[in-house]
Amino acid sequence: MLIPLFKSIWSRILPTSLVTISLMASMVLLLSIERIQQGAEEGFNQSISGVDAIIGPRSSSLELVLYTVFHLGRPTNNITTKTIDEIKLRNDIDWIVPIALGDSHKGFRVIATDSNYFEHIKYGSNKSLKVSEGRIFSEISEVVLGADVASKLNYKIGTSIQITHGSSESIGSKHDDFSFIVTGILDKTATPIDQAIFLDLRGYELLHLGWQSGRKVFSLDNIDLSAIPEDDLNPKTITAAFVGLKSQLTLFNFTKSIREYPSEAISAVIPGIALSQLWSIVGLVDKGFELLSWIIIAISLIAMITLIIASLENRKQEMTIYRANGASPIFLGGIVIYEALIIGLVAIVGAILIVTIVTYFATNQLNLALGITPSFKLVSLGEIRIFTIILLAGVLSSLIPAIMVFRKNLHQTLG
Amino acid sequence: MLKTTGLKYLYKHGKTIEFPDIEIETGQRLLISGFSGCGKTTLLSLIAGALRLQEGSINFNDTDYSDMSSMSLDKFRADHIGYIFQTLNLIPFLNVSENIALGIKFSKNRKSKVSDMHQEIERLISSLGLEKEILNTAIDNLSVGQQQRVAVARALLGKPDLILADEPTSALDNDTTKKFLDEVMNTFDPSHQAIIMVSHDLSIAPYFDTVLDFNKHNAHSII
Repeated sequence: MLIPLFKSIWSRILPTSLVTISLMASMVLLLSIERIQQGAEEGFNQSISGVDAIIGPRSSSLELVLYTVFHLGRPTNNITTKTIDEIKLRNDIDWIVPIALGDSHKGFRVIATDSNYFEHIKYGSNKSLKVSEGRIFSEISEVVLGADVASKLNYKIGTSIQITHGSSESIGSKHDDFSFIVTGILDKTATPIDQAIFLDLRGYELLHLGWQSGRKVFSLDNIDLSAIPEDDLNPKTITAAFVGLKSQLTLFNFTKSIREYPSEAISAVIPGIALSQLWSIVGLVDKGFELLSWIIIAISLIAMITLIIASLENRKQEMTIYRANGASPIFLGGIVIYEALIIGLVAIVGAILIVTIVTYFATNQLNLALGITPSFKLVSLGEIRIFTIILLAGVLSSLIPAIMVFRKNLHQTLG
Repeated sequence: MLKTTGLKYLYKHGKTIEFPDIEIETGQRLLISGFSGCGKTTLLSLIAGALRLQEGSINFNDTDYSDMSSMSLDKFRADHIGYIFQTLNLIPFLNVSENIALGIKFSKNRKSKVSDMHQEIERLISSLGLEKEILNTAIDNLSVGQQQRVAVARALLGKPDLILADEPTSALDNDTTKKFLDEVMNTFDPSHQAIIMVSHDLSIAPYFDTVLDFNKHNAHSII
């Protein structure tokens, strides 16, 4: 019976194709949103990796993650390097990377840190930070640029830059008494690292020697920089510190003991947990798109049923001949349901193939442009569930024309 | 073989038709003639089991239609009856061979009588004056006369007991009608089959054993 069924569909190929394509397109939309959402969530959660905890002043964990990982917002307090030095002595610590935030350059955040940052801080699926040009800073007057900073400002190795105090370029806030030289440009990571400028903590400390309470008190032009004691350039406070533990098993004990640290009000945040909490807020937007996709699928199913009902009049001859040769009205209703099933299956298979092929070829571009890695797989369990629901909905809604055919042929003559 | 008694049918528009009783045995050829709207197609549909009985009875080979459900009647029709329409007998997107094969599609009984379907189809179309080459032809490429012959082949495939034909020659000219009926009567097997044909054209009466003229016999409308 399949051959006559396919031939029947083929005889109405134009309207059937249009409906199938419409259904397929709506499924491509749903599938794409699903996969991009998964990839975006994965990419979001992997904005930073390899870090077990982030130590900062006691505040909300989301706030700490926002300004240390995403460079959003302003830290309200600092923590002392004395505390960090004490924590470094703990047995469970593998490494600590301090960071200081607060300055900027032409809208891009400046992150003061040490060279260990580039060794321990990773992104994505534990990928290491690498320079595409030049090298990591080794002197206090050197900076490393994130990929987007270099490309947007057209900076190259050897470019001289001056840092702005704070995040705005208002008059009087520039550290115009000291320039930094670009020595390295990082590879594109599709994370907030691309929009950051990195310099040595001692260079950051030097910049702020002549500053008090957010205002320049004296210029560095007036002092002999070579005469500054080494110790004076070691920062007394930092914004936060990234921590790597020797064993993940000690993580919760570690965060608890940091929270209970007696000498200073600090806390430790587990980035994975905080990022998931953040995503559950940010990810709500995707739910809206998902709802829209389902609406579009519903509209496509209605179009399919409308087409099938409209075609019934043209198929009167076909139905009557089947009936005359012994087909029951149930058989005729079944033909209608099978047709809906075929259209649904073709649309589903087509959607899966299209999305998989596009994902395969566009993964790299999406990752570089948006930090999204859509999951490349033929079909997941969740998607199978979605498609089963769509197929069932299509078959159930085809019961309407099937019952119409059944009732019509129950009482019709063969004339 | 077939006996109808006291058949009446009430149409949706309120008209009721009372049909004359019919009795036909194997080998017999019955022509039913009458004006348009006198209920000839309704009678054939009742005999074919496509319309439920409202009043009266039909007995076919000792099977009483009133004891049967709609599904059983559909199966019965598939097993025992071959049906030919006036026109539009064939499904346009199937080729000749596929259209003919529909005759046994819904009947295991008729299928079992055909050991080699392709061979049997070729035999039927040859005896109906068609070339074997048309088997893979699209229906649109056939003349009306050829299409009617293909419809007859389908109705005869698997040797159903009764052939019902509803005005099969209306769309044919006189010469083609004569040729068509010659071939149909030569191909139909009087040792196993009977034929009931409906037509308003009484000139074909010589091809039949019995003529039931609805204009003259008891078929009349009851308002």
